[in-house]
Amino acid sequence: MFYRQSGVRHNSYSSDRDLFPIPADRYALWFFLALGIAAPWLIDGLYLNSYMLPWLLWTAAALGLNLLTGWAGQMHLGYAAVMAVGAYSTVHAVRFGIPWEFALLIGGLSSSVIGSLFAVAALRVKGLYLAITTLAMQFVMDWVLNHSPAISGGSHASLQSPTFALLGQDITSDAGLYYVALGWCVLVTIFLLNMRRTGLGRALVAVREKDFAAAILGVNSFYYKIIAFATSSFIAGVTGAILVATFYFLASPEQFSVNVSIQVLAMVIVGGLASIIGSYFGAALILLMPGIVNGLFAGFADMVGLQFGPETLAHIPNAAYGALIVIFLMVEPMGLGKIYGNIRDYLLVWPFDQMKK
Amino acid sequence: MKLTKILMQVAAVALAGTATVSSASAQDTIKFGMCYDLSKSYTFITPQITQGARDLADLVNMKGGIGGHPVEIIVQDHGNEPQRGIECYEKLKREGVFVFDTLSTPVSIAVLPRIMKDGNILLQSLVGRGDAVDGSVFTQVFPVGPTYWGQVVNDIEYIRLQNGGSLKGVKVAFFYVDYPFGQEPIEILKTLAEKEGFELGLFPFPLPGSDQGSAWTQIRRFNPDNIISWAFAGMHVVAAKEMKRNGIPISKYISVNWLNEKDIASIGAEAAIGLKRGTNVAGGQDVPIIAEIIAELYDKGKGNGDRAALNDVYYNTGVAMYSAAFEAARLAVEQGGFPVTAETMKAGLESMVDFDANGLMAPLTVTAEDHGGGGKTRIDMWDGKTWVGQTDWIGAYTDVVWEVVKESSSKFKLE
Repeated sequence: MFYRQSGVRHNSYSSDRDLFPIPADRYALWFFLALGIAAPWLIDGLYLNSYMLPWLLWTAAALGLNLLTGWAGQMHLGYAAVMAVGAYSTVHAVRFGIPWEFALLIGGLSSSVIGSLFAVAALRVKGLYLAITTLAMQFVMDWVLNHSPAISGGSHASLQSPTFALLGQDITSDAGLYYVALGWCVLVTIFLLNMRRTGLGRALVAVREKDFAAAILGVNSFYYKIIAFATSSFIAGVTGAILVATFYFLASPEQFSVNVSIQVLAMVIVGGLASIIGSYFGAALILLMPGIVNGLFAGFADMVGLQFGPETLAHIPNAAYGALIVIFLMVEPMGLGKIYGNIRDYLLVWPFDQMKK
Repeated sequence: MKLTKILMQVAAVALAGTATVSSASAQDTIKFGMCYDLSKSYTFITPQITQGARDLADLVNMKGGIGGHPVEIIVQDHGNEPQRGIECYEKLKREGVFVFDTLSTPVSIAVLPRIMKDGNILLQSLVGRGDAVDGSVFTQVFPVGPTYWGQVVNDIEYIRLQNGGSLKGVKVAFFYVDYPFGQEPIEILKTLAEKEGFELGLFPFPLPGSDQGSAWTQIRRFNPDNIISWAFAGMHVVAAKEMKRNGIPISKYISVNWLNEKDIASIGAEAAIGLKRGTNVAGGQDVPIIAEIIAELYDKGKGNGDRAALNDVYYNTGVAMYSAAFEAARLAVEQGGFPVTAETMKAGLESMVDFDANGLMAPLTVTAEDHGGGGKTRIDMWDGKTWVGQTDWIGAYTDVVWEVVKESSSKFKLE
């Protein structure tokens, strides 16, 4: 009814390979893209730059990690460290006088190089061992940042990001910064949507499912794992750099610490492995939920007339937020993306699904 | 029917934004935004400081507020995450707050570019980057109180006084947790060691601070006359245990200001006798303003929390921090009238002269150049029941401290 399949006929191979064969999906996509573009006129600057902008950028980061963890099946607990490499190299490049466009590329490439150099060592092991090895990368990076003032700008200090500019145009307005985030997030999404139907995407899935079975089929699993690490690190590096340029305005080691790595991984897992829409949901839940639950709880306490101290008010929402994650994963272990999929599948045949029973 | 109404209200509140707790809610108030970490790393201090600040605000309001206008303290949790700290800043900014306090180094660093750009005021006593005391560079930032650099040189001055005015041949161990907070005093200690001729030993230990065995074995071999410690909370308890094991008397231990009665209780009030602590705030309850809060609020059951929490030097710290903030607001109203703006508040802060909140803290003289207010501290000793001041307020080696401050702040450039 809502996702009508009638009238969808494939007359050529290319139409058969459409990303969204069902028109309703396409309309929804265009609708949300239009909403995203119109957002600066629709919502207040606070929500635009303190909620929407970080959400889009963390979604891009989660998508990058999803490429590695969801598609290629490789655990990574040091993702924030890779983001840090990109952020610091970009800011240093810009301070050196290189324009932002190239600096972002440098940031992405240096992340890519360091990420895959590390992967060459890490990929000698698999599964949990790989997870722990990538965690080591995170700690190495934390240590390097804390102990090399030349990179981090000194102890307790931070590296100021120069004003963000694209094509010689300084970008300082709320809306401008937001569009940069939106543009990058859309770009990453388009890349991942298309990657799924390329040889690379299928090779990654083959490696994920069983790497020696893939090898028998002629897919060099080590090579594709490195490709996955390099690509995901590139996305991480550029995202880290844009995050610093448009949101933090400076780079400091705490922004890329181990708990950030865990948070991004949580976004991917809560959202759903290898699910693009799931990454959007996951980032929203992990990033925005603490604030919203906080607001709900404070409002509720206010209304019922309960007097809570500020500490209680800070702790109970944390518990509720944790419970929320557990409940979502119990209802659907495949993540929020799968919950959306289930609803869509239901509506696909509704109201005729009753006829089967 | 009623349930749906409640649900709709809840939804409306959720849409309106995140949690805030306010002590007063009139329109003509002077607002102070506390974006604090009430749930993660800084919870060993934030509850007491929040309680102190809110109690002081209530006391001030009972007496008619500042120039007839009540003060309002808005508290919100940011969980020590830069992203949520920025969210809190942006939200409170739109609610008319222009004086912010984050009490978290990562978050104060994260909101710094926005504070400078928006021309608001950031109070960052005891946290954040130390070079922010340089008012000529960090025009909007007020780290009222000592920096870690100022604190450590005052510790050295105390040791010098104890040794009859000379540090020649004295051995000082610097025991610190190996991350930026602990590393900060190293450079200035090296400078002083060269200048004063004492022998300095560096003894780092890793986070989270429960593994200090090797550091203490090395300190025992070094056999120092004094140990300056840059650690906090439970780390002190582990240190006390290790000192006992290595036969080092606890009276050699001079802690940074982050040590309170709770840590003392964990060490054991008797076992901790002789332990020393650098501070810019007088401990205990014999201070006039603390006694007044107890008489006016807690004796009448109007306090903002548990009475047991009052016997904590961090509570006094909270009262001290906000005494200075309210004094600045009073000066601002006096000079620039109501409503107070970021500019008049800045002028108010910069015209504070020898303010010590009636004996609660080291006298502060804030100027446009020195946003730290002089950075005086003293050494307190635990006598088994309370803190006993060992010296007068010290502000030593200011030239050395300012050299480091200038060297560091000159690298800061707002883009």
